[in-house]
Amino acid sequence: MPPRGRWRGSGPAVVPPGVRPVSAAASIAGAAVIWVALLGPVITLLTHLSGHAIASALTYPGALDPLVTSLEAGAVTLAVLFGVCTPLAWMLARGRLPFPRVWEAGVLCSLLLPPLVVGLLLAFMVGPYTAIGGLLGHLHLSATNTFLALVIAEVYESAPYYVVGAQAAFSAVDPRLEQQAELLGDRPRRVFRRVTLPLASPGLATALAIAWARAMGAFGAVIIIAYHPYGLPLQIYTTLDQTGLPTALPYALVLLVVALPLPLAAYVWSARAQGRRRG
Amino acid sequence: MLKADVEVDRRDFTVRAAITVAPGERLALFGPSGAGKTTLLEAIAGLVLPRHGTIELAGRILTRTSKPRVAVPPWQRRVGLLRQDPGLFPHLSVRANLTYARTASHDGTRIVTGTETRTRVGARGGTGRREGAAGAELTEVADTLGIGSLLAAMPARLSGGQQHRAALARLLLAHCDALLLDEPYSGLDAALRRTLTALVVRLVTQRNVPAILVAHELADAQAFATQLAVIDHGQLLQTGPPDRVVLRPASVRVAELTGYLGFAAVPGQPGTIAGIHPDRVAAGGMPGRGLVLTGPVAASRPAGAGWEADILLPGAQPPGSTVTVRLAARPGPDGSEVTVTAIDAPVFGPDGRAVADSSAPGREDEARDDAAGEVAAREDRAREADRAHDPAFERIGEGNGR
Repeated sequence: MPPRGRWRGSGPAVVPPGVRPVSAAASIAGAAVIWVALLGPVITLLTHLSGHAIASALTYPGALDPLVTSLEAGAVTLAVLFGVCTPLAWMLARGRLPFPRVWEAGVLCSLLLPPLVVGLLLAFMVGPYTAIGGLLGHLHLSATNTFLALVIAEVYESAPYYVVGAQAAFSAVDPRLEQQAELLGDRPRRVFRRVTLPLASPGLATALAIAWARAMGAFGAVIIIAYHPYGLPLQIYTTLDQTGLPTALPYALVLLVVALPLPLAAYVWSARAQGRRRG
Repeated sequence: MLKADVEVDRRDFTVRAAITVAPGERLALFGPSGAGKTTLLEAIAGLVLPRHGTIELAGRILTRTSKPRVAVPPWQRRVGLLRQDPGLFPHLSVRANLTYARTASHDGTRIVTGTETRTRVGARGGTGRREGAAGAELTEVADTLGIGSLLAAMPARLSGGQQHRAALARLLLAHCDALLLDEPYSGLDAALRRTLTALVVRLVTQRNVPAILVAHELADAQAFATQLAVIDHGQLLQTGPPDRVVLRPASVRVAELTGYLGFAAVPGQPGTIAGIHPDRVAAGGMPGRGLVLTGPVAASRPAGAGWEADILLPGAQPPGSTVTVRLAARPGPDGSEVTVTAIDAPVFGPDGRAVADSSAPGREDEARDDAAGEVAAREDRAREADRAHDPAFERIGEGNGR
């Protein structure tokens, strides 16, 4: 707080005493309203659920299958993203690619495509009568209404989010620290493991968490190329379609419960990692 | 011995420099910002590739652009680089930072020293005894640098000075064959800067490695160096002992960079000008000691423990410019005449190069002979030191004995 006398001065500060606490309280109240409004759907969900409804929905034969499918596909998706998109994000962040704008535009382009359009285009790309589909057929695989198709759809829906986030995480690592590690005797690969990755890890964790949430909720592309096997979003949709809102609601809760913990854990973990660095 | 003779392309110009630094010797690269000093260091560290030239360290060729081409990667150079940002790894404790090099991957670098070829033993896979010795060394270095009690802390907890001490300790524990300091202390206050510079000087002498400091403040360079190299716009203008470079600048440009704040025509020698250093001026006319200058005071102000005065001289170069001098006593009011003597002022010919001044004929030749002799002597000393004092040598012996 500045000294009180300042308000009585003839300077440009003309806020009279007593207004500041009031305006501070008003802005906090305003922020609270916005926050509650944003959380509205979650609050509504909680008020509309009864223990009985959840129990009956989840004990229905085969009710947990979509959950298992979603978790498995999400885990595979994350592994693919981490293994394939992390190097790409690093190269983008370090400017190791020629024409960086072109590469970035490509990533943004897939970020901006509506998921339904992505699904439609994926069907034309990996469907049974395409070159890639034919190739998959030779391997006795199919990218239509299979687990593979679900993973492909989830990867396409979540990859751009991960690449953009991971690129930001790598950009935040001072390249001079990497140089220093090299001068201290580490090969580039070891520098990446010992310096770059640990320093980027809070940002990478956040990016992975967002990608996880996108993969869990993937619907647009999924409904077109992977209607089966059901993941949670499709389960919600079909239940809603067939038996109505009240029976779909418990699945919505289940989706939230599986989609949220990882992002929350990543958030807590990265906050703690930052705290550790501060000593 | 560190030898570099390189041409490195930068966006706007090419840095050309040839330097030789013997073990235990300290070279200061001094010049204005953007002169190419850091580029030269980065070429030695292997972070930028020279277009042309050779870099040699302790008998190893690190860079050679002629055939057979050599470009040793940074992680095998064993060159320590300290920048203004200490560059401690923020996710590691001070202890883990200090031991980073010991756990690094440099493995079996081939080293050629004169007639001998030896293999440096990798840092990994040491026996318990070696680990114990390394731990003792860590404690010793940390205590020497006054950070012994901070080993468990995270770098963010350390003050700026402590971070620099830790970064220096990390370089010492890495057993670098050369120490490159890129204006490491320019962000710190003067007293701390002096303490740390003195510490580096002591450690470089003790470790007997060549060291290069990049500085854009002359005082920093002088406090550090046994050799001063003045560099401007990518060109190495003059190299020599710090006092000689400052007292006998080889050209007008070197004089400007080393603090000569004015130039005056020398009476009786048309076309020549004398460099006037504000610190080397005495009040009053003493023709036997140097160039006597008389003119009105254009402006004056307190400076340090004395006064600084700008004097408008009839013979100032360029005409109409003032010459700045420092005086012990306050000069008269602006416009009043003042007479000063520029003691032993260096004289430059019309081409901007230093000429042998009339007061001491033959001095320049003498200096040149001195310099040549000194270089030869230094190289002898260095060769000897290479053989006798390389701590790595002792460690290798230990390793082979196992």
